[in-house]
Amino acid sequence: MKALQIPAVLIALIVLAAVPWFGSDVLVQFGINALLLAVLAQGWNIIGGYTGYASFGNSVFYGLGSYGVGIAMVQWELPFAVGLAFGVVLSVAFAILLGIPVLRLKGHYFAIATLALAQVMTAIVSNVKIAGQNIGLVLPPLNNDLLFYELALGLLVVATLTIYWLSRSRFGFGLIAIRENEEGAAVMGVNTTLYKVLAFALSGVFSALAGGIHAYWVTFIDPESAFDISLNVKMIIMAVFGGPGTVFGPIIGALSLSAISEFLSSEITSIAGLFFGVVVVAAVVLMPRGLADMLRRFRTTGWRYFAENIKATRL
Amino acid sequence: MDLLAQILINGILLGGLYAVMALGLALVWGVLNIVNLAHGAFIMLGAYVSWHLYTYAHIDPFLGLPITAVVMFVLGYALQRGLLNLVVRAPMFNTLLITFGLEVVLTYLAQLAFSADFRTINPSYAGDSIQFGAIVLPLARLMAFGVAIVLTVAMWLFLLHTRLGRAIRATAQNLVAARLYGVEPRHLYAVTFGIGIGLAGAAGGLYGTVSQINPYIGATLTAKSFAIAIIGGLDNPLGVIVGGLFLGIVESLTALYIGPTFADVASFGVLVLVLIVRPSGLLGKTA
Repeated sequence: MKALQIPAVLIALIVLAAVPWFGSDVLVQFGINALLLAVLAQGWNIIGGYTGYASFGNSVFYGLGSYGVGIAMVQWELPFAVGLAFGVVLSVAFAILLGIPVLRLKGHYFAIATLALAQVMTAIVSNVKIAGQNIGLVLPPLNNDLLFYELALGLLVVATLTIYWLSRSRFGFGLIAIRENEEGAAVMGVNTTLYKVLAFALSGVFSALAGGIHAYWVTFIDPESAFDISLNVKMIIMAVFGGPGTVFGPIIGALSLSAISEFLSSEITSIAGLFFGVVVVAAVVLMPRGLADMLRRFRTTGWRYFAENIKATRL
Repeated sequence: MDLLAQILINGILLGGLYAVMALGLALVWGVLNIVNLAHGAFIMLGAYVSWHLYTYAHIDPFLGLPITAVVMFVLGYALQRGLLNLVVRAPMFNTLLITFGLEVVLTYLAQLAFSADFRTINPSYAGDSIQFGAIVLPLARLMAFGVAIVLTVAMWLFLLHTRLGRAIRATAQNLVAARLYGVEPRHLYAVTFGIGIGLAGAAGGLYGTVSQINPYIGATLTAKSFAIAIIGGLDNPLGVIVGGLFLGIVESLTALYIGPTFADVASFGVLVLVLIVRPSGLLGKTA
């Protein structure tokens, strides 16, 4: 199994990287969106999947990344790479400044505080002059889908390697220990505050980079779309659907859900959004540990898998 | 001075409505330990039920409130019994997700059924107001405020003094012990969720008389309900009144002195501050 895994991943990667050369324009554009969503799901996986803190504030990082690129390129006329770096700096600063107080909260309270922060950021950015207030910013266009596609794929590879490293490093084990039992982790000598803030910041870096690439690609940002909370929910759903706290689960979740949603919206436009809601509800009831867990266990238990999941959580 | 007084009055009237919005959320959260992200969507549905009653059956929105509440109660009971009871013992995060999924489904269904157009419930007295010196009290808002306060106090008395209310409080404190005393949890959870959703529906009916409704109002209302429930604490329905009034006044003052676009910053800023400083709410017991 292990010996087969590495070649399989490499082949999948080569096929993905080659898509712009044989695929249609529509496929490449779909690919950019899906890959960026996969990056977001992986970013959320660090704080939500590994550390167990259900962040609803990752869309803030995404927005800060978008605005980092937007402000640097439009207001200061700096190159794209500098904008990306600026967005990352903004995100890390946000993760440290607000992470320290907010990460003290647990469970629902953390989720809601981050949700509120996302709302506050939308409102603040709509009033900041340099960010174009609520009108937004128009970036210089660059018609190079190939570049954006490979950038998004590269970012996803880096994010996945980071998570692979997490899954076998001291830092990653510290995060898992926090998820399983925070007091216990602290007793065992894990500096929980430092670990949590680092995980939050790391998760923010990937979200910000995805936001920056997306901003330059679509060439337009405004507060409503850059800080869109439903995007945050999408990344959670994708990570949870695929399998939170696993290396490849969020990618599988992001790519499969994007594909199904794209197919549905081309076939029957009006219910594409509805589909997302129904999938979430069904996934939470039938396969709460994600697609990865289901694929692993379905072979031995068969259809009983779903019944057992329901039995485990019902009243 | 008159301006300040008027702003305070507006804030208080708004706050009463906020309180009843948050009441159902706080009840469900406190008893079932489910943070219902679809709460705002249920408020929205309640507003549409009221709107249909008024537009097609010509039932006054205030007199129609009990019908709205009952319709929403039935919906809530069915949802809890058929769906949410299947996941109540799952980790908190899963219940958060499933209610989010519900909010997406409800919003889309509402958009399909009712279209995205803005609707208002406009009874003949909608423009009337009562004048006290320089201060104006809009009649519809005053009535909504009155109903909201009555509902909240009634809820408090119900939880304190009725058999069902005691069973609900007992379940919130200790499910196993409540079971030993003969509480049937599947039914009781469904009744509690139904009451929460019924209250959300009533809040929606009131909301429709003072503001415009469309299928997308849910998310913001959920967020505000949270803010209020947290400021007021989950222990006591009367805390929700304090939280609602507080938020209403803060929003009105911010809109006047800093700018209307900052009203939401103020309410969510207050929420984050309260969470960080006093996670059990302004009135809640310290752990």
